[in-house]
Amino acid sequence: MSSTLKRSPGRTLGRLGLVLLALSASAAMFAPLVARHSPTRPSGLPLRRPGLGHPLGTDDLGVDIFAQLVYGARISLAIGVGAAALALAIGLLVAVVAGWKRGWAEAVLMRLTDVTLAFPFLPLVLVLAAFLGRGLVTTAVVIAAVSWARPARVLWAQVLKLREFQHVQAARAMGGSGTRIVSRHILTRLTPLASAQFVRVANAAVISEAALAFLGLGDPNQASWGIMLSNASSNNALLTGAWKWWMLPPGFALTVVVLGFAFTGYACEEWADPRLASTSGRLRFLSGPRRRPPTVAPVAPAGDPILEVRDLVVSYRRGTPPAVKGVSFEVPRGRITALVGESGSGKSTIVMGLLGLLPGDPVVQGEATFEGRKLLSAAAAARVRGRRIGLVTQAAMNALNPAYTIHAQIAEAAELTMPPDRARRRATELLGDVGLPASAHQAYPHELSGGMRQRVIIAMALANSPDLLIADEPTTGLDLVTQASILRLVQDLKDRLGLTVLIITHDVQMVLRVADELVILEDGRVVERGDASKVASAPTEDYSRRLLNTRLSPLGARA
Amino acid sequence: MADISLTPTEAFGHQSDSRWSGLVPIGRQFLRALPLAALVLGVAVILNFALPRLAPGDPIDFLVPAEQANAISAEQREQLAGSYGLNGSEWEQFTRYLGNLVQGDLGISTRHGRPVTSLLAERLPWTLLLVGTSVLLSTLIGAALGFRSAWRRGTRSDVRTLTGVMVADSFPPFFVALLLMLLFSVQLKLLPVFGALPGTEAQGLAFAFEVARRAVLPIAALTLAGLGSAYLVARSSAVSELGEDYVTMAAAKGLDPSGVRRHARRNALVPVWTVAMLNVGALFGGAAPVETVFSYPGLGRLIYESVLSRDYPVLQGCFLLIALGVIAANLVAELVYPFLDPRVRRPGKVGG
Repeated sequence: MSSTLKRSPGRTLGRLGLVLLALSASAAMFAPLVARHSPTRPSGLPLRRPGLGHPLGTDDLGVDIFAQLVYGARISLAIGVGAAALALAIGLLVAVVAGWKRGWAEAVLMRLTDVTLAFPFLPLVLVLAAFLGRGLVTTAVVIAAVSWARPARVLWAQVLKLREFQHVQAARAMGGSGTRIVSRHILTRLTPLASAQFVRVANAAVISEAALAFLGLGDPNQASWGIMLSNASSNNALLTGAWKWWMLPPGFALTVVVLGFAFTGYACEEWADPRLASTSGRLRFLSGPRRRPPTVAPVAPAGDPILEVRDLVVSYRRGTPPAVKGVSFEVPRGRITALVGESGSGKSTIVMGLLGLLPGDPVVQGEATFEGRKLLSAAAAARVRGRRIGLVTQAAMNALNPAYTIHAQIAEAAELTMPPDRARRRATELLGDVGLPASAHQAYPHELSGGMRQRVIIAMALANSPDLLIADEPTTGLDLVTQASILRLVQDLKDRLGLTVLIITHDVQMVLRVADELVILEDGRVVERGDASKVASAPTEDYSRRLLNTRLSPLGARA
Repeated sequence: MADISLTPTEAFGHQSDSRWSGLVPIGRQFLRALPLAALVLGVAVILNFALPRLAPGDPIDFLVPAEQANAISAEQREQLAGSYGLNGSEWEQFTRYLGNLVQGDLGISTRHGRPVTSLLAERLPWTLLLVGTSVLLSTLIGAALGFRSAWRRGTRSDVRTLTGVMVADSFPPFFVALLLMLLFSVQLKLLPVFGALPGTEAQGLAFAFEVARRAVLPIAALTLAGLGSAYLVARSSAVSELGEDYVTMAAAKGLDPSGVRRHARRNALVPVWTVAMLNVGALFGGAAPVETVFSYPGLGRLIYESVLSRDYPVLQGCFLLIALGVIAANLVAELVYPFLDPRVRRPGKVGG
C-alpha cells in the first residue's frame, strides 16, 4: 500500500473540473468563431461523411454536426447554470425562512421539501415536461422545480446549526434585525455548502436535459447534445458507421461537462466539510496481515519491569514537532502505575504510539520493551494488542460498537485465544467479574449507562487475560460516585488476577487513591517519577507541586 | 474484597432486556413512515389530476392526436370530454376521478384502446427485473469499492478509484447504453439489440437464457448509472465510521484488520441501504432513456411511447405507479432499519 498523500484529492480534482468547465464555456462563448456553419439551418447535403467543409459531416437535414456540437455547449451550460441558480434560490429561501422563523412556516416548508424529495427526479421531470411543454426555459424551470428540495434540506440543517452559534445568539440578543443577522452571519457561512449544492444541481440538470432531449422532450428548435444523440440514433448511426462523428462527439462532450461539474462539486464538498479533506485519518491497523492464528501467549515473565520505555519520541506526521519529546519510564510488574499530565501533555499519545494505534503516518522513535521484547513495530504491536496488553481506550461512551451486543463484542475478543464456545462462556464470566447483572449481558451499548459501558470495556480488555492493563482516562466523564466504583473495580481486578496496571489520567487526586507509582508528564516530557506516596508527599519539581495542588471540584473543573 | 457492584447512578440508565417481539419495531417503523407515504400519495394523486388541466391549451387538445385535431366536430369533442371525465365542474371531475381511482380504474389508453392498468401490469415486471438486478449489482459493487477506498483513504489507490468512479458516473446512462449496444450488439454481435422477449418459442431454461441475454446490456447500463451514488455514500459513511472510537477499540482488543473493518462496515451499511432504496425509486421510471435505447418493454419505455403518442391517460397511470413504487421502496427502507441498527430496534434509554 502506498503512503498517505500530502494533500487530499479535492484541490486537484477541483482544478481539473474548472478546466473542463472552462473548456466548455469557451466553446459556448466563441461558438460563432469556431464553427463556420449554422447549428440549425442546413449548410450542405444530408448525411455527409466528415470532410473539408464539414469536419464532422452533416446530419439527416444537412445541418453541420460540428456546429451543433459547438453550439450545444451553450445549451448544456445554460441549462445547468440556469436550473441550478433557480433551484438554489428557491432552496436557500426555503432553508432560511424555515430555519430562521421556525414555527408553522418551518413545519409546512419542510413537509413540502420531504414530499418533493420523495419523488424520483427523472420520472417527475419527464412527466412535468410532457405536460408543460418543451422549450428550453420550461425545461430549466421544470428541473429547478424538482431539484430545489435537496439544497433546501441541506441548507436548512446548516441554518439550524448556525443560529445556535454564539455570535449569532449575541447578535440576536442585542436586538439586531433579522435580515441583517441573516445576511451577515448566516448567508456568508452558507456559501461553501450552497456552492456544493449548486454544482450538484447543475450536474443533474445537464444529464436530465440531455435525457429529456434524447426522449424527444427537448426544444426542437435547438441543437442540444441530447437531440443530436437522439437524431443520430433514429438515423441508425450505429449501423451506418456514422456513430464515429455523430454520436461519440456529443456523448463525450456531455460527459466532459458533467465530469467538470462532478469534480468541482467534490472540491466544494471538501470545502464545506473539512473533515472529508483531512488525510490524517488513515488507520494503519486497517492494513497488514490478514489473520493471525489464535495464539496462546507464551507465559515467560521476563523479570521486572514488565514495560520499559526509553527516549520515546512521537510526532503525528513527518516534519511536525513531536508531541512526545523523549520520554523514559518503567511499569513495574504487579503494581499500579499512573501516567499523569494535563491534556496535551502527550500521555495518551505515548500509549497509542506504543500500541500502533495512532492515525495517519506518525513517527515513533526510541525504544520500548514489553516482557523483554521490542515493541516499536507495527507487527510487534499487533502481536501484543489485546493478547498481552489490554487497553481501555479513552471515551468509553463511544468505544463500543452500537451494532453488536456487549456479550458478542467481548466473546469476539476472547476468540483470539480460544474456541468460540469457550469464548462465549468467558464473556459471561468476565461481565460478571466487572459487576454487570446477567440481565444486561445481551444488551446493546446504547441501553447502558456510561459507568456500565466503562465496565464492559474493562471486561473486554481482560478477555485474553493480558499481563498488562492500560486504562486511558477510565473515569473521565463519569460522576464522582461512579469514578470511585470504577477505581475500586480496577484495584480489585488487579489483586484478583495479578495484573499490572497503567492508568493514564489528568486527575492526580483521584488516581492517588490507587496508584503505587507516579510518572508526571509536562509538555511531552517526564518531569518526575517514583513511588506514588513519596512523590505526592514531597514533590521535587515545581510542576509536580502545582499539579498535585490542583483539586478537582465536584463538577470536574479545576478549582 | 472490594465492593465492585454497580452504583445506583450507574444502574440508572439500564433497561433490562425485555425481549421485544420482533414485530413491534417493524410496526413502529411502519407507523413512522406512514404520514410521509400518505402525503406523497396525496400529492401524486392531485398532481395527476391537475397537470393536464394546468398545461397550456384545452385538455381535449392533449387527448386528440395532432393529425386528427382539425377533423373532429364540436359534438365529438363533447363526447370525448365525457369519456375522459372532462365534463362538469372541476369539483365533479375531481370526485369522479377519485372514485375511479379507488376502483382501480385509471382510464383507457388513447393509443392502445386498452385499460391503462392492464398496460402497466404488462410492463411492470420487465422494469422490476431491470431495476431489481441493477440496483443489487450497483449497490454490491459500489459498496465494495467504496469501503475499499475508505480503508485506503488518502492513498493513491483511493484517489484512483474515486476519480475512476466519478468519471464512469459522468457518462449519461443512455450514452453508455448506446456505447454498450455499439460494442456488444453491432460490433461483436454477441447480444441481441432489441426487446426483452425472444422471438422463438423457447421453453424453460432456454427461455430464461434468452430473456437474460436481452436483459444483460440494459442492466449493465443501469448498474453503471447507480454505481457512483453507491460508491460515494459507502466511502463517506465508512470514512466517518472509521473516526469513531469503537474502531480504535476493536483494534486495541486485538482484532486483525479484517475484523476491525467488519466493525466499521457493519455501521456504514445504513446509509448504503438508504441510497439503494432511493435508487430503486429513482430507476422505477428513471430507466426510461436506457429502456428506450434497447426498446425494452418496461415502464420507462412506456412513458416514452406515451409522450410521443400523447397518450396522456397512460402517462398519468405511469406517474401514479412510479409514486407507488417510490412509496413502497421508502417503506421497505424503513422496515429494514430495525434489522440494521439496534438503536432503532430497541430504542432504550441512554444513561449517563
